[in-house]
Amino acid sequence: MGIADGLGEGFSVALDPTNILYVFIGVLIGTVIGVLPGLGPTATIALLLPLTYELEPVTSVILLAGIYYGSMYGGTITSVLLQLPGEAASVVTTFDGYQMAKQGRAGPALGIAAVGSFIGGTLAVVGLILLAPPLADLAVEFGAQEYVALTAFGILLVTYLGTKHPVKALCMAALGLFLATIGQDAITGTGRFTFDQVELFDGLDFVAVAMGLFGVGEILYNLEKTEKAEQIKSRIKNIWPTRKDFRDSSGAIARGSVLGFFLGVLPGGGGVISSLASYGMEKRRAKDPSRFGKGAIEGVAGPETANNASSTSAFVPLLTLGIPPNVVLALIYGALLINGVQVGPQLIDTNPEIFWGVIASMFIGNLMLLALNIPLVGVFVQLLRVRAGILAAFALLITMVGVFSVNNDVFDMWVVLVFGVLGWLMKKTGFEPGPLVLAFVLGAILETNFRRAMLTSDGQFDTFFTRPLSGTIFGLMALVIVYSTVMGIRRQRSGRPPALYADQLDAAAPHETVPGSESEGTAGVAATDGGNRDGPPPAGGGSTRAEP
Amino acid sequence: MSKHLYRLAPLVLLLFGIAAMLQARDLSLGELSAPGPGLWPFIVASLLSLTAFVLLFVDDPADYEPWTRGTAGIALGLLSLGIFIVLFQEIGFLIPAVLMLLVWLRLFAQEPWRWAVPLAVLGAVAFQLVFVEGLGVPFPDDIVLGG
Repeated sequence: MGIADGLGEGFSVALDPTNILYVFIGVLIGTVIGVLPGLGPTATIALLLPLTYELEPVTSVILLAGIYYGSMYGGTITSVLLQLPGEAASVVTTFDGYQMAKQGRAGPALGIAAVGSFIGGTLAVVGLILLAPPLADLAVEFGAQEYVALTAFGILLVTYLGTKHPVKALCMAALGLFLATIGQDAITGTGRFTFDQVELFDGLDFVAVAMGLFGVGEILYNLEKTEKAEQIKSRIKNIWPTRKDFRDSSGAIARGSVLGFFLGVLPGGGGVISSLASYGMEKRRAKDPSRFGKGAIEGVAGPETANNASSTSAFVPLLTLGIPPNVVLALIYGALLINGVQVGPQLIDTNPEIFWGVIASMFIGNLMLLALNIPLVGVFVQLLRVRAGILAAFALLITMVGVFSVNNDVFDMWVVLVFGVLGWLMKKTGFEPGPLVLAFVLGAILETNFRRAMLTSDGQFDTFFTRPLSGTIFGLMALVIVYSTVMGIRRQRSGRPPALYADQLDAAAPHETVPGSESEGTAGVAATDGGNRDGPPPAGGGSTRAEP
Repeated sequence: MSKHLYRLAPLVLLLFGIAAMLQARDLSLGELSAPGPGLWPFIVASLLSLTAFVLLFVDDPADYEPWTRGTAGIALGLLSLGIFIVLFQEIGFLIPAVLMLLVWLRLFAQEPWRWAVPLAVLGAVAFQLVFVEGLGVPFPDDIVLGG
């Protein structure tokens, strides 16, 4: 199917009244939770997973995708007005956005962020259209070895990029892979680690695990934090940026779109890293870098564009290879799996309505977001009056009832509770739930393909390295490990934080404090504070702390 | 000793990993050319043990947050959720939901009674309507509704 036909079909799916309604609900929920500190896209999507059983597969992805990119818009609002990033990718926006607000330019900051996000999101959709079909064609040739390589590469990159402590993340990924083996063995039918519990025979339910780790774990973690009501001081006026603002930020928006797109495609990339990279790039390119951190509009436009572009392009590996590049996409992947949709290179051919429908809905969703954000910023800000405690109480009840509704089984409620405790403990001890969930989702694919490869190659382990494609991927993996180990050692020697991108953040962050916020789960380094700690209290779950 | 308390987490993971390896071995590992059901779990459990072992030595104590008074509150919150699940199974949705919302709204959100009570009752009824009437989820028999 050509692009024109595909898009035609896509729009006929996306313009279906039900789907229009759900893309609207999605971007609205996304914006709202982006505004509300403490409930990020990961937690929200996890909490809403049971709902996807009730919906058509394409509708559920449209809804969840809307929440994801909608939250990128919403997170901006609190970053600019309160210096509180509603979600991790907006951390960078606090640097210059909040300064602009202090200078009475909150309006243009929000306006340019909305426009930039729209452009970035839209260009990324175009990129997705162009890049996805050829990639899927290539992927059809993949054998079991390639899938093992790709899946392992995905997990590895998520554990290495954007987490503060790769070994801890790898440990969690291993735990996730192990938990995925619970239940009946797909090949021999043997029950594994079920301890004769009938409920465990089908394995742990992905929805329950994700809801526990991200939803309940997050809520429990936030309970310990003292929340205080925030006051909006800056008045918002003149949302639409001036012609000069547009001129100043047009380059940043263009570069941010491209950068965000490519970083979003990479496993482990995603919003935080894209926005950081864009900020760093703009600062380096600027004639007068000292303006950054004091209200430079490029410092808002570039990163906001980039994080939206990346949240769209992250769909490329999912829809073409069946590999979710970050945790939010892993949840969406899970939603498709529980709907019985095989996600992989064949998706474009077997379920064109999903592929093209989701793409078309992104155009519509981005347009809606632009229309929602420009006039309604004032309304969204009022949401901050909702107290976190009330939100937590209702979110918990939704979780409990929601997970029950999946299988009508009380056992799943206990699973949620146990994983909630686990998720909370992990946050307390600096282990990130992101790699665990990603590995849990990919565990079955990895195991099946590993065993298949072993069977077909008669137990020859080198089958992974001698095939050109899988060999290349494993070669890349070795490169990533060597590179990051060497860099880690060099950083430790020079006494700098041992995480990727920590440098850039250190360099990028002005002296303002950047509070922690809910991350996509993979992006632990996001909210490293730039030095002091006497800013506003941390916004959300802070898996994203780092020592100064 | 307390200085090394943070090593508890990797230690627990290490023990879990070793236990998992032993369990996996009992499932029969098979051969590489004919992997048994235990082979893959054994591999990932080994990875888990290995990384946990490394963490015993290299982990950063600053990653670990201190326990606060709030921690006791968490335990209470968890207890309330546990009781909710048990009651839900026994007497249906409405009463446990009202009780749980009350506990959370009063204790954790610190809403005054005049807000907590109506919010809890309305919330529970709304959930009942949405999930049972709207989505057709079969909740356990409810003593209030006499189902």
